[in-house]
Amino acid sequence: MNNDVILSFQDLDIRFTLRGQVLNAIRGISLDVYRGESLAIVGESGSGKSVFTKSAMGLLDANGTIAGGHIWYDGKDLASFKTEKEWLTIRGKEIAMVMQDPMTSLNPLKTVGAQIQEAVQLHQGLKGPEAKKAAIEALADVGISDPENRFKQYPHEFSGGMRQRVVIAIAMACRPKILICDEPTTALDVTIQAQILELIRTLQKKLELTTIYITHDLGVVANVADRIAVMYAGDIVEVGTCDEVFYDPRHPYTWALLSSLPQLGVKGESLYSIQGTPPNLFYEVKGDAFAPRNPKALKIDFIKRPPYFDVSPTHKARTWLLDPRAPKVEPPEHILKLRKRGGAGYV
Amino acid sequence: MAKYILKRVLRASVTLLIIITILFTLLRLMPIEGYFDNFDKVSSTQIQVKLNSLGLNDPLPKQLVRFYGQLLHGDLGTSNIYRKGVSINTIIAEKIPISVKFGLVSFALSLAFGLALGIWMAYSTRTRFKIGDRLGTILIVVVQAVPSAVYHIVIQFVGSQYAHIPMLFDPAQPVSYILPILSLSIGNTAYYAMWLRRYMVDEANKDYVMLARAKGVSSGAISRKHIFRNAMVPLVQYIPGSILSTLMGSLYVESLYSIPGMGGLLVTAIKRQDNTLVQALVLIYAVVSILGLLFGDIMMAIVDPRISLSKKEGSR
Repeated sequence: MNNDVILSFQDLDIRFTLRGQVLNAIRGISLDVYRGESLAIVGESGSGKSVFTKSAMGLLDANGTIAGGHIWYDGKDLASFKTEKEWLTIRGKEIAMVMQDPMTSLNPLKTVGAQIQEAVQLHQGLKGPEAKKAAIEALADVGISDPENRFKQYPHEFSGGMRQRVVIAIAMACRPKILICDEPTTALDVTIQAQILELIRTLQKKLELTTIYITHDLGVVANVADRIAVMYAGDIVEVGTCDEVFYDPRHPYTWALLSSLPQLGVKGESLYSIQGTPPNLFYEVKGDAFAPRNPKALKIDFIKRPPYFDVSPTHKARTWLLDPRAPKVEPPEHILKLRKRGGAGYV
Repeated sequence: MAKYILKRVLRASVTLLIIITILFTLLRLMPIEGYFDNFDKVSSTQIQVKLNSLGLNDPLPKQLVRFYGQLLHGDLGTSNIYRKGVSINTIIAEKIPISVKFGLVSFALSLAFGLALGIWMAYSTRTRFKIGDRLGTILIVVVQAVPSAVYHIVIQFVGSQYAHIPMLFDPAQPVSYILPILSLSIGNTAYYAMWLRRYMVDEANKDYVMLARAKGVSSGAISRKHIFRNAMVPLVQYIPGSILSTLMGSLYVESLYSIPGMGGLLVTAIKRQDNTLVQALVLIYAVVSILGLLFGDIMMAIVDPRISLSKKEGSR
């Protein structure tokens, strides 16, 4: 693996103030993103996936602040950025984003051409007819046929999948180094999902992009990711290559997450689901955030937050189970089966 | 688009035809005193002679057809009581320009100030203390909650007592235009500010704004090119109606400053039972409202590309 770090999060803390209460949305995340890789961040709703990545673009809501830590990009600490002017050197130009819902992420009153052209003019330094030409090319690049005419059309004249292509065209027109895809296929039907993922992958190779996928769909992850980071309650509990996380997961939350895959269910039995609810991040989380929902939690899980333990040079997890002193706890049956199946194709 | 407009125009015409018919029929039910300024003094023969000459003894369908014909020629009839024997066209031709002058100036002012205030308020919701939003809200709440009669009087009193502006309208003194225009503008200013702020705040929270930020558009450009533009769409619909309704003047403000405009005319006509004048004025009100809605719809279709009901293209 390429060890050239393009984006590095260090001990990142993000807080939101809501009605006078403080919510610790991100609790001390450290993560390196390597140049050219495809990283997937998975986790359930509310685990902080979107907030985490939005912090690298300065797109947190007004009540959210980076309370500590660093985000290193190209020698600059993005976490110290205060003004919009500083962020405008990053947004689009260096890091671009594709959002979840293509039905709402385009301005309904502007032609798609104008919206792509806006990005072209900002980031490619082109004007007038040249910018228009570049925008039409961008449409063609994302596989939209008849781009000259489609350029003049409005978002409502496009289907969901086509709109997502337009959103991708906008992101690409910015010529970014990193592309964040925030659940890019959640709102699309299955056949379109595959096409959109394929498109992103093709563009990634062609333009040597680094991509960060945010998703809760493990099927998507298996398709696109080189590495996986598993998030739970504002923390990354496990990170490793795709193989490592799927076939040799170490954190109890990762076990639980994989066990809830419908593909692993046995016909006639009810599907596995994780008991309980995620912790309330308005309160300080003590120990391992997943401990209250983990039937096999150790005592120490309730007292002290585990550090990261290295499983391999590329694989680490935040669980006391990896401490040499910990008792041996076997992962659930499903997971053992997965491990045996290893190499025989993903879920 | 052309088909959309044509459809609207046709619908408006049908509505108007129905209104005219109902209006005319209803007014035929009014006591016949409404056609005489000296009903008590004339004999029943004289009454019948006059009614015959006005064609009011003809069968109703015949009268209706004649009325449509009159209207097609732009003839609204003749006043019988308010100004006996004077054509209604002449009466309103004197009054409409005055009302329109006041109306248009105050419309322009309230649009300019209302939109500016709305933009400032919407912008200010993103700042720390929201000062603009709070001040604007105070103005809006006061204007909406206090009956307009009260603040009109306050404006007149303060203006004449402290700024020594004439209390009543005087065509010879331009300074006397100030207070009535202020009175006329303030309500709409608050109205435009309230809605624009609301729509801008709505738009600012939409996903496409997030995407525009993510692609590196500055917040100033986003506000101008995306948020303001889109927030204006629902407001644009009301602008033609606002302009047209200046034709009717303002009942309260015009009587407060004794402006000889259209405002009080309908009330006077009803009070004095001048049937033809009532009929003509109600008709004008109806036309103004219908045209206001029609032009509003057309404006919407121009600014919002999603409205093109004629073409069923949909998504491919």
